[in-house]
Amino acid sequence: MKDSFFRSMTWMHTWVGLLVCWLLYLIFFAGTVSFFRDEITLWSKPALHDAHVPQERIGLQHQQIIAGVEYLKTVAPESNRWGIYLPSEREPWLIYAYEKPRPEGKRFGGWNDYYINPETGAPIQQPRETKGGNFFYRLHFDLHYIDVRTARWIVCFASLFMLVALISGVVIHKRIFKDMFSFRKNKGSRSWLDGHNVSSVLALPFHIMITYTGLITLIFMLFPYPAMTAYDNGVRGLFNDVLPTNVRTQSSAESAPLVAVETVLDQVYTNWPNADITQFAIRDPNTASATITVRAATGTQVRDQTPTLLFNGVDGSLMAKTRDELSATEVFYDSLTALHTGRLANPLLRWLYFLCGVAGCVMIATGCIMWAKRIRERMKKDQVPSFGLKLVEGLNLATLMGLPVATSAFFIANRLLPITTAERADKEILVFFVTWLAVALFALFKRAKQQWIMLAWVNCIACISISLVNALTTNGNLISYVLNSQWALFSFDLMCLISAVLFIVQAKKLRTQLHAPTAPFRANRAGKSNLREQNT
Amino acid sequence: MSEILQFSLCLFAFNCFALAKFNHYRDVFKVRPTQTQSNQFVVVAWISILLSLVLSVVEYKGYGALLFCGYMALSVLILMIFYSFKTSWVKAMSVINISVILFSGLFFAIY
Repeated sequence: MKDSFFRSMTWMHTWVGLLVCWLLYLIFFAGTVSFFRDEITLWSKPALHDAHVPQERIGLQHQQIIAGVEYLKTVAPESNRWGIYLPSEREPWLIYAYEKPRPEGKRFGGWNDYYINPETGAPIQQPRETKGGNFFYRLHFDLHYIDVRTARWIVCFASLFMLVALISGVVIHKRIFKDMFSFRKNKGSRSWLDGHNVSSVLALPFHIMITYTGLITLIFMLFPYPAMTAYDNGVRGLFNDVLPTNVRTQSSAESAPLVAVETVLDQVYTNWPNADITQFAIRDPNTASATITVRAATGTQVRDQTPTLLFNGVDGSLMAKTRDELSATEVFYDSLTALHTGRLANPLLRWLYFLCGVAGCVMIATGCIMWAKRIRERMKKDQVPSFGLKLVEGLNLATLMGLPVATSAFFIANRLLPITTAERADKEILVFFVTWLAVALFALFKRAKQQWIMLAWVNCIACISISLVNALTTNGNLISYVLNSQWALFSFDLMCLISAVLFIVQAKKLRTQLHAPTAPFRANRAGKSNLREQNT
Repeated sequence: MSEILQFSLCLFAFNCFALAKFNHYRDVFKVRPTQTQSNQFVVVAWISILLSLVLSVVEYKGYGALLFCGYMALSVLILMIFYSFKTSWVKAMSVINISVILFSGLFFAIY
């Protein structure tokens, strides 16, 4: 324990932050990108680029559901599950899907999707196999390749560390309001500290909210004991109680005709007169155990649980529905989950979420760079850097510069991998991790300023290549997107170009620093005490 | 239009908070602020920021509070850029900011 509260907090902030900063950067980066996961998925599937939201989107839903059920009755009468996914503002296409036959011993056979143009009702060319934005969404908390449960525990611990670092950061930042708008450029470590402070403070409510709500989304994994005490089958029992529409009926082999869809839809519109239906799913169609689940959008309500109705698929009776009025505890859990996922956000709020997410990435990046930079500045000219310092510098370069390169490689692979490639979606992900590994190996051997410059140029070229390859391999480009009002696609390309410009600025700035004498660092009191602690 | 008004009020509030600080005021106006001026900036800033919050929450309820957090982040980012890199533009930016508040407020009041 340090000799004063302030110094203890500074010590804790430094080490708690440093221990998990690279993992946190990955989590924040993937989370920030996945605020636009539907838009990224759209970009990743050029076959869907021409789909537009119909003017009478909600008015057409009734007809689309009836047509979908008729279609599935013809195409997949024997399937265990049918699904009709209705177009939304962010996913403006209609999907009729059915489950493929289940392989021996498997509980799910995978979906066969048919994409339909919602305006004309005509089939759209089947899009390429890709995970698109969903890859980043899952990477955010499943970390890929790692067992899901283990990954979520790791993410939870990292989030907990982040929360501690945030709170201790607020405590040690004495001039939080005085320096709110201050960024002193060209001052060595002082500038990095300012960058760290500004990026932390400008989105501080967001950082605290997103970290805390991140823990809340996984609270039943972290702390299942109350549910285990109250219910025989633990958390599952709790969710079945809270969400009665989750209850599964035992599948039956006895055949029975499916109820008329109009009967179900009449009840849906009686319950929800202005329903914006998102999904119409049928389980065990044409059997005695058939059920129909209807889900509606929550709009901009701070609520994550989708309103759901569950019907008997044979007689059309209402079996269960989600409660309109939630208890205080349910509202608390549900609204915090909604705040974290940001699914409620319209484009303005989505961009604000994105901006705050970028601020979070900058905060983490500046924090880990600053630690290594301060140690370097304190070293004597002939002193050999320690293993710890070399490790931190290597991880900084591999993570901070490697992750953007890998992301660009993922998008370029999306356009360049042949459409017919087997397990194409997995190959795109493989490209992502192989690229990242290559940068990590590069950082293992050399991690000086020259390597940062090199990787900044690589990132710049990669970002420009995304737009270029997109223009060369599809019918669209930045200009055509503006002319056709395809704003999601335009924003994607624009963000790539903005990123390229930022990497050019970074490369030029680093080159200037490389040829300039080192700026003297006038450590403030906090800085001095921090350095003293690193000595001890 | 209401979003523009809410954001402009938030930006104006943080601009006032910045100008209430001795060093930022001196950088912009080349003179020291008096204690009264600093206090006035703080009072105006609090009124403006509360107005922004109230307008956001009244219009969008819980969703408005989220928007307001985003407005705060964007405002601080914009002001940090101006005060750190383009101090000479702060006056022009403030005039534009006030004009936008007036026009969007007028529009909001009429429609």
